Amino acid sequence: MKKSLLIALLIVSVAMSSVLFAAGAQEAAPAKEVYFLNFKPEIADVYETKIAPAFEKETGIKLKVVTAASGTYAQTLKSEIAKSNPPVIFQTNGPVGLAESKNYTADLKNTEFYKILSDKTMALGDGEKVLAIPYAVEGYGIIYNDAIMRKYFALPNKAVSIKSADEITNFATLKAVVEDMTKNKSALGIQGVFASTSLAAGNQWRWQTHLVNVPLYFEVRDANIAMGSKVPEIKFSYSANMKNIWDLYLNNSSTAVGLLGAKSVDDSMAEFALGQVAMVQNGNWGAGQILGVKGNKVSDADIKFMPIYTGAAGEEKYGLNVGTENYLCINSNASVEQQKMADQFLTWLFASETGKQFVKNDLMFITPFNTFKDSELPTDPLAKDVIRWMNKPGVTSIPWAFSMIPSEEWKNQFGAALADYSVGRKNWAEVEKVAVDAWKTEFKLTN
Amino acid sequence: MSLATTKRNHLILTIVLALLALFFLSPILIVFMNSFKSKLFISNEPFAMPSADTFSGGENYISGSQKIKFFNAFGYSLFITVFSVIGISLVTSMLAWYLTRVKTKFTTFAYYLLVFSMIVPFQMVMFTMSKTANMLHLDNPIGILVLYIGFGSGLGTFMFSGFIKSIPLSLEEAAMIDGAGPVKTFFLIVFPILKPTAITVAILNTMWVWNDYLLPYLTIGTEYKTIPVAIQYLRGGYGAVDMGAMMAMLVLAMVPIIVFYLSAQKYIIRGVVAGAVKG
Amino acid sequence: MLFALPGLICFAIAFLIPMVMGVVLSFFKFTTVTDGTFIGIENYKRIFINNDFTSALWFTVKFTVVSVITINLGAFTLAMLLTRGIKGTNAFRTIFFMPNLIGGIVLGWIWQVIINGVLLPRGVTIVSDPKYGFWGLVVLMNWQNIGYMMVIYIAGIQNISHDLIEAAQIDGANKVTMLRSVILPSIMPSITICSFLTLTNGFKLFDQNLALTAGDPGKQTEMLALNIFNTFYGRSGFEGVGQAKAVLFTILVAFIALTQLRLTRSKEVEA
Repeated sequence: MKKSLLIALLIVSVAMSSVLFAAGAQEAAPAKEVYFLNFKPEIADVYETKIAPAFEKETGIKLKVVTAASGTYAQTLKSEIAKSNPPVIFQTNGPVGLAESKNYTADLKNTEFYKILSDKTMALGDGEKVLAIPYAVEGYGIIYNDAIMRKYFALPNKAVSIKSADEITNFATLKAVVEDMTKNKSALGIQGVFASTSLAAGNQWRWQTHLVNVPLYFEVRDANIAMGSKVPEIKFSYSANMKNIWDLYLNNSSTAVGLLGAKSVDDSMAEFALGQVAMVQNGNWGAGQILGVKGNKVSDADIKFMPIYTGAAGEEKYGLNVGTENYLCINSNASVEQQKMADQFLTWLFASETGKQFVKNDLMFITPFNTFKDSELPTDPLAKDVIRWMNKPGVTSIPWAFSMIPSEEWKNQFGAALADYSVGRKNWAEVEKVAVDAWKTEFKLTN
Repeated sequence: MSLATTKRNHLILTIVLALLALFFLSPILIVFMNSFKSKLFISNEPFAMPSADTFSGGENYISGSQKIKFFNAFGYSLFITVFSVIGISLVTSMLAWYLTRVKTKFTTFAYYLLVFSMIVPFQMVMFTMSKTANMLHLDNPIGILVLYIGFGSGLGTFMFSGFIKSIPLSLEEAAMIDGAGPVKTFFLIVFPILKPTAITVAILNTMWVWNDYLLPYLTIGTEYKTIPVAIQYLRGGYGAVDMGAMMAMLVLAMVPIIVFYLSAQKYIIRGVVAGAVKG
Repeated sequence: MLFALPGLICFAIAFLIPMVMGVVLSFFKFTTVTDGTFIGIENYKRIFINNDFTSALWFTVKFTVVSVITINLGAFTLAMLLTRGIKGTNAFRTIFFMPNLIGGIVLGWIWQVIINGVLLPRGVTIVSDPKYGFWGLVVLMNWQNIGYMMVIYIAGIQNISHDLIEAAQIDGANKVTMLRSVILPSIMPSITICSFLTLTNGFKLFDQNLALTAGDPGKQTEMLALNIFNTFYGRSGFEGVGQAKAVLFTILVAFIALTQLRLTRSKEVEA
């Protein structure tokens, strides 16, 4: 009898002490708290370690930041928004995302936050209502390391006649340069020209959304479809062009095709930062991922952008892909008090002196707000180069047509098809078929 | 067969089984070994022993524990497991006693409903249960105990009922004649007899609750992470996977349950058999 | 009655109410549980609009059949070997059972690292081809469950009446006959329970599936439970379809379990 009493006491005391372990992990929700569901894992700790404390210090309002894991934002938002303590500030990725969240987006027309948007037509809404406000304009293309490029152009037996990377203005030249660099990769000290074409789950967005934007845009441009319209089906008429660049990425990369399924975007950015590769397709949001890598070998001045060339006619006149997929919304089901605090936070972040410094130096957003002077634009090399390309004469930026993709499911299926193609389980005709058929099905399902 | 042949056969058998046993243990040993290598050297050579260059000491353990707040997760897992198991054993034994002793259409129906719940896959109720839990404010480490008791009552009631049926009614009747009410009768007479079954139920439920992922993830996952939820978060939460931290955390996740196993082995195996026999 | 109350309340909250709600909602289009619109069997029809449910079903069936056979054969063989009183039986039993304690998520990650390590020299990963994922899951399931089933078989074998064995030996039975006519029929209850457990566990598998491959490549290694989870939480507007799938899933598992129980129960011999 004594022994079992002892065991019972032991169990109870162990359980009690477990509370000590768990304590300190959470406190009761304070009255003045604003819950922000963050989309970008790359800058999650900036919000948590710098912005939230600074905001609380100035206003006494606690900012609760939860970051969804890469590729799980929609899922996390859906389950969090239904709880009794839902996010007050959340993100939507454009018209498709907004349509899914419409039931709980508040009208922002009378907020301070809306007032600081320079171009009011950029906001998304429904008739008179303003439901989503963009907060970061971003650009993407092929980021390259000019130091390695210069090394290449200095080679005595190079196969091309141009002398520098900015003379690459079409796919044919790009292909010639890249393939020649692959031949000479040991002389250049690199493992491959392109960083891994990362295909791990949640990491395929560079291809099924960003890369496909180029052929998609050309197709809708040819058909005179305006940005933001509903597109019931596509013919994927520029598919051969997509194949051009996709094959180039796969065959000239640092990693064998069979291993790409385990590579993440972080892996690719690290390869670029450590000087193991010369090029990586990504956007200016990736600046932190390059500059923050321990042992980063690429100097700021050598980090440049070039457009994604695919062999389409007239592509010399196009620049980077520029647009926004980042809209902020306020939860209409939150209390009036909380909505006001949300407005206060957003206006503080994008208009106050302290906030703007964070935006410029840590978050590195190029914002569409009238509160930023030119000197307050981010100075990281990628943002600077995006701005240079946006302002370059004779060249137009390619807008983000991918916001017209009918659903996330289409992107997932297309990404899976690309992955199958890269290991030889599908041929390109089958990838095309997936793209066209899935678009039709998904459009029907969501309209 | 001669004694010598039998002995030789036995020796061969022992050797074969020993090799098999080593093979069985190898995944655990490999993860353990890798947890001491620094992260960049794991994916490329997972079967290599740590060398002077790749050895990283306790670094992975430290960075991993910080990243996912392992010790908090441990606390939550411990609290939830211990209290749900105690709760289930107590509550379901009481429920089973009632359902077995009181024979009405209702109790028979309730019994079959409980048995049915053992087959139903969790996906059937995961969405509606998490909504119900949220509406009733059960989405915290204390409320989740209610969910575990509810979900675990199928197995518990089934096992206790089986055993209670074999307890002679005369024992309880004797107690009633002596003036004991149902509470005294249960706790002083019935429950002590049920002890072996209670231990079996406790052990089977410990194994379930400690390792459960989906229930805590859906109901309390954003604020309170138990060990399985924290481990899974290590995967998706930070872009690239820090393999070193992952290895270290996998080891830490396995240690408590292995310690529990080695110390209570006899009971665990007995419990598994008893559970199966009753089934 | 008071005795039953706490149990019944918890059961109602955690299982009964959600279950009934789930079945009802499978006929509705909804996003939260209170805003549904009745749409009859539309959700059930939508399940088959693309073939991810049927391919998940097929994958799950293949996987379950293979693992039930391999696990039970492996467990039975080990049980036979460990009931001869050779040295170290207890230690072996401890070791073979150990993997069962480790949780699904942790198990999935461990095996992913190991399998990727094995595949690395061939330049592929576990998600390069669905067959790696399939066999990876089979290996994982075997590792986790052989020990557990073995323990049950050992108990069953140890319970065979010695009289029966002696009588058979006197009758001149050889090893094969012994196995077929004495041992197997006598341990039928163990076979029943082991088949039941491996069958239902295999069909309902989730944690290990999520951790090992998460269904990749594409959705080709996605099992039913993961498919349903992704239908709910992976895309919007499909909650009703998710519930409908879950209802079908439940009916399927119940049907298979009951059929199997009836089949093997009828073969059980009274000792």
